[in-house]
Amino acid sequence: MTATAPLVSERLCGQLQQAITAMSWSADGEFLAIASAGGELLLLDFRAGCEELLRGDRDSSLNAIGFSADGQFLMAVGQASELLLWELGETGVRPMALEPIPLDAGWLDAAAWQPRGLLLAVAAGRQVRLWDGAVRAWRPECLDMPGTVQALAWSCDGRRLAASCHGELALWQPEAATAATPLRAPTGSAGLVLSFSPIGDLLACGQMDRSLLLWPEAGQGRPWQFSGFPAKVRSLAWSDQPGRLAPALAVASGDTVVLWQQRNQSQQGWKPEPLLWHQQRVHALAFAPDSNLLASASADGTVGLWDSRGRLRQPLEGEGQGFQALAWRPDGRHLAAGGDQGRWWLWPVEVPSRERQRRSGGAGFG
Amino acid sequence: MAFTSAIPAAERLPVTVLTGYLGAGKTTLLNRILTHEHGLKVAVIVNEFGEVGIDNQLVVDADEEIFEMNNGCICCTVRGDLIRIIGNLMKRRDRFDHLVIETTGLADPAPVIQTFFVDEDLRDELTLDAVVTVVDLKHVLLHWEAEEVQEQLAFADVLVLNKVDLVDEKEILSIEQRIRAINPLARLLRTTGADVPMDQILGVEAFELERALGLDPGFLLEEHAHEHDDAVGSLALVEERPMDLDRLGSWLSDLVAKRGPDLFRMKGIIQLKGEENRYVFQSVHMLLDGDFDRPWKPAERRCTQFVIIGRDLDPEGLRDGFSACVA
Repeated sequence: MTATAPLVSERLCGQLQQAITAMSWSADGEFLAIASAGGELLLLDFRAGCEELLRGDRDSSLNAIGFSADGQFLMAVGQASELLLWELGETGVRPMALEPIPLDAGWLDAAAWQPRGLLLAVAAGRQVRLWDGAVRAWRPECLDMPGTVQALAWSCDGRRLAASCHGELALWQPEAATAATPLRAPTGSAGLVLSFSPIGDLLACGQMDRSLLLWPEAGQGRPWQFSGFPAKVRSLAWSDQPGRLAPALAVASGDTVVLWQQRNQSQQGWKPEPLLWHQQRVHALAFAPDSNLLASASADGTVGLWDSRGRLRQPLEGEGQGFQALAWRPDGRHLAAGGDQGRWWLWPVEVPSRERQRRSGGAGFG
Repeated sequence: MAFTSAIPAAERLPVTVLTGYLGAGKTTLLNRILTHEHGLKVAVIVNEFGEVGIDNQLVVDADEEIFEMNNGCICCTVRGDLIRIIGNLMKRRDRFDHLVIETTGLADPAPVIQTFFVDEDLRDELTLDAVVTVVDLKHVLLHWEAEEVQEQLAFADVLVLNKVDLVDEKEILSIEQRIRAINPLARLLRTTGADVPMDQILGVEAFELERALGLDPGFLLEEHAHEHDDAVGSLALVEERPMDLDRLGSWLSDLVAKRGPDLFRMKGIIQLKGEENRYVFQSVHMLLDGDFDRPWKPAERRCTQFVIIGRDLDPEGLRDGFSACVA
């Protein structure tokens, strides 16, 4: 830690009944949704300055939540095997719940809205299904996988959807003009987390066998494989800032965070820098938008804020509870975090100027 | 590969694995566990949803999915669905204090058991309490040759012999004898309507090393191999002379490397040369776990007792290998 001005000086917090499982901001940063392991769903409306509990504790977990890109819908899935949707009106207006949609596919824990679109991908057992917000119905086509879908991710342009199960990664273009067959690649293990880079269209897959797969061209061609992580690779985050080649990639495995930078185009061109500080499992990673400031949330009861050189700039404490979820507000100046006993925090963050967007420098990757 | 966790067992969540052939009475037992006033908040993972219907209980459905972690190596075969579902469930850790996993009637129990030792998360968060197998006394002989039946008997720590009211005493004794030939270590409980004392199936700690052989010590008094036609059988070895840990270790490593898929479970209390403490040992297929236990008591008969449960065992070869480990 360096003796510079603190990045965080005040905070807002609140309490749900059970562990926080997911947090999500609307694209305009006006709404924050928080879900719990008891099925609570809290919506904070910043313009109106109010909060609303959309759903109370009903002893049935919610595990994935998110706002559609246009801010029209909020979705939630979890233990009850239902897709829950709310239609959001103007600020200050109570969101309207749509009829829950039963999926009968066991515990649902992966679902994601299409960036720049209205498709919602839901992992339902061995299928990825698409709910189309434009017509408010399921698309007839779905992606079949040989095993239970473990993770999902959209490319940043919203054209490609990646899904992983034990042994396979599939890449699908659900809106391609011709009904393109999904690309399928063997992975040798179960992909637990997937993420496309915001620049350069790389695809990263964190695996159960303690390895990381990295495709240079959006899931096509041969991936680089990096093994030897201390534990399952369970969390990934890409910076949205151009690096020398690819943007920086943060990877969490056990209590370790590793920051990867690409120096050249070979497999050896990726340089790992371990960020050693957390004492228990790291559950979530997120780069602040428009910056290289990285937040890491750990079961040890701390959130670490790291700069682009891998230096711990400030630790944030969780009042005795472990952290399970993180979400930066799209303005990059507020960080939300959720604890394993239901407490949530919202910290305003002064991102140091040297970590903020660099307009000059590299032209970006690809 | 050892299966010890760095986290003390007392801090981990106990898990009971419930197996039994189709119609044996698993669901009846599960409903008893859920309704009984045992003071435990029990979460249940079922593979056959819909049969357990009790309000206000945490019952979760899982769709059996086998993950072969390492080129089909049998000891690295685990249940991927359990890793995912239990991972989700553990976020609600404060809502329950015991986990029961019901397997389908046709399931091989080994991948379920191995999941708790191979998976890095589950190993640190859970402790396997016992494998409880429900046996239908009336019909078990009809399915006796089924591989699943023999595996479920072989892996059990507790065998619930259900439907005693439908079978006469002579027949029960004969079934018990055949079961003993496969699994001499499990505790046998005779019941009707799966009505067993809860403390006999929950909180058993059969996988805790110091308890591993505490179930039926009398059985181990004499060395014997059971003569039956069943492919799955057991061998009990007794040795008065102290053993050498290095020799024993290399014999066992070699044994599981060659015969691991056929060796279901091994348990032993070892007398080591120059050691005042007992050494206790157990295995599941290729997963080995051993550690020093309490000192031998003055009045205790100091000897090594070792039980091997497996398929197509070679008693002569095993006895020779074991004897060669004498210090």
